[in-house]
Amino acid sequence: MNGESDIVIAVRHLAAGYGDRQILRDISFEVRRGEVFVIIGGSGSGKSTLLKHIIGLFPPRQGEVWIEGENLLSAQGEARTRLLRRFGVVYQSGALFGSMTVAENVRLPLDEFTDLPEVVKEHVVSAKLKVVGLTGAAHLMPAELSGGMQKRVAIARAMALDPHILFLDEPSAGLDPITAAGLDALISQLSRYFGITFVIVTHDLGSINAIADRVIMLDAQSGTILAEGRPAELREHSANPSVQRFFNRQAIPGQTMSEVKFYGSKDQ
Amino acid sequence: MTESPTTAVQTEVQAQEGGRVTVVLRGALDVQTMGGLWRELEARLRPLKAAALEVDATALRLCGGGGLALLRFLKTGGFTPMAKVTVRGLGEDLDQLLWLFADEDSEAAATERRRTPSLPEEVGTSVRASVRDLREQIAFLGKMAAELAGAMVHPERFRWREVKRLCITAGANALPIVSLLSLLVGLMIGFESAAPLAQFGAQIFIANMVGFGAVRELGPMMTAIMLAGRSGAAFAAEIGTMKVNEELAALTTMGLDPIRFLALQRVTAGMILTPLLTVYTMLAGMLGGTLVMLGLGFSISEIYNQMTASVHLHDIRFGLSKSIVFGAIFSGVGCLRGFQTGQGPIAVGVSATRAVVSSILLIILADTVFAAVGFLVS
Repeated sequence: MNGESDIVIAVRHLAAGYGDRQILRDISFEVRRGEVFVIIGGSGSGKSTLLKHIIGLFPPRQGEVWIEGENLLSAQGEARTRLLRRFGVVYQSGALFGSMTVAENVRLPLDEFTDLPEVVKEHVVSAKLKVVGLTGAAHLMPAELSGGMQKRVAIARAMALDPHILFLDEPSAGLDPITAAGLDALISQLSRYFGITFVIVTHDLGSINAIADRVIMLDAQSGTILAEGRPAELREHSANPSVQRFFNRQAIPGQTMSEVKFYGSKDQ
Repeated sequence: MTESPTTAVQTEVQAQEGGRVTVVLRGALDVQTMGGLWRELEARLRPLKAAALEVDATALRLCGGGGLALLRFLKTGGFTPMAKVTVRGLGEDLDQLLWLFADEDSEAAATERRRTPSLPEEVGTSVRASVRDLREQIAFLGKMAAELAGAMVHPERFRWREVKRLCITAGANALPIVSLLSLLVGLMIGFESAAPLAQFGAQIFIANMVGFGAVRELGPMMTAIMLAGRSGAAFAAEIGTMKVNEELAALTTMGLDPIRFLALQRVTAGMILTPLLTVYTMLAGMLGGTLVMLGLGFSISEIYNQMTASVHLHDIRFGLSKSIVFGAIFSGVGCLRGFQTGQGPIAVGVSATRAVVSSILLIILADTVFAAVGFLVS
């Protein structure tokens, strides 16, 4: 094992925010090849913001993002496009193109970025849909699919070009526990079968315990990483009260109805 | 895992006695490397007429699952239709996945498409949709009339603040563009009519043409069509998005009628702002014609006298009456199309388009009726 080449994503001293609001400060971490890396944190802690900055949707205020040894932020033109093709992104809503069938959604990246013969593309689409367990749904429109099926199609589309890394933003949001568990199982299988590296933003404890190899927890107050490690380690051994509260699903003291200070009250 | 994921895929084809062929695949197989490999295997395997094919995938790494397509094609005899195919070295999990995948009836799955309806079916579906649409329009019209009557009886329940907001966004904000376009159309009519009228020495009648046209036709029609494109489409998109986001369902389950809560204010705003904007359109159109006439050497007093002689109060009343009806049409149709929105973001776009097309059609239809009735009455 070559230690250096084993690092597929390196985030160095990343700081980000919107307008006057600073959300993330000095975030640094590394993701290893083939692992399921999960970013956790409470609502408003900047999980999705971090993800959007790693995938290059927004430029960070400071810091660097390295994908497979190449700096995403300094890459331009064709080099950037080539780098972007090494990863796929699954958005929280699925973001499927509503005017296209399931098969057309999955096929779109193949049409745009490969010169595969038509027959091969058809077989690849068929293989992708098989992998995500949606054989037979090729001709359906996204509006005809359940939430869980839409997420699976979104994964198939994100995998269309056989990326090395998949980013998922809240994959289990809005799904029932059984469907969410099915999605977790799919992520584990994809990681095991094809060696895909996963970076997942979630606050679903069930998913974290089921699939995460390593997690980082973001702190909404400081905008920094509060804890990093294996889920079991953090759950069992972390002395940080915020981490303990997260893993044990405990409310923050002062936020129960009898204690909360309402916005607009005179003592605010 | 230590192997770089970009290692190119390699193949080795060994033909043995008795029609036995072995294909050894090595490296990382993904959609980028598969095209070349697919073509190479096709070129080398098809002529061999193999009786047995063994695919050795021990040193092959599937990246992302695209390579499964090739393995499945090999396993189902795509290149070697007469051969018994075995794939080894994939590992238990992937082997099972490939076995399940290869077992599926790919032809049946591929041909499972939507059936194209026949011509009579399409005609029938289209007629049914038109009848349903007409029924919905009539029901909506009746409901709106009832709600308007109800609002007059109980004006305290009417959301005037929302009407004011809509009048500002759909009306006041549209004033510059409506005025500019009307001015330009007034100029255009002036220029176009100047040459033919000059042949008869009757250029003074440009004032009649522009004044009469702006008050009776140009003003109400131009305003209504511009508002249909600008504000009617916005009403449809706004209500359509609310439907897609289940906000209409939330209103209904709260016991609030979406028509009373959303459409009533919009239609009222449409009926108030259209005649107001029409006044500006009339004035801007007449100003356009006046500018052309000033350029032709007529004096302001000549133009004024000619215009006031040709345009009467009942013409202005007629134009404004039409504009109230047109305002009700574009705002009502915009709301109706919004309520008829289907599922997904495309449905919102479809609703906005339908709102504009239906509004313009109905406005011109109504204008024709007004013209015919006006002619018969006069």
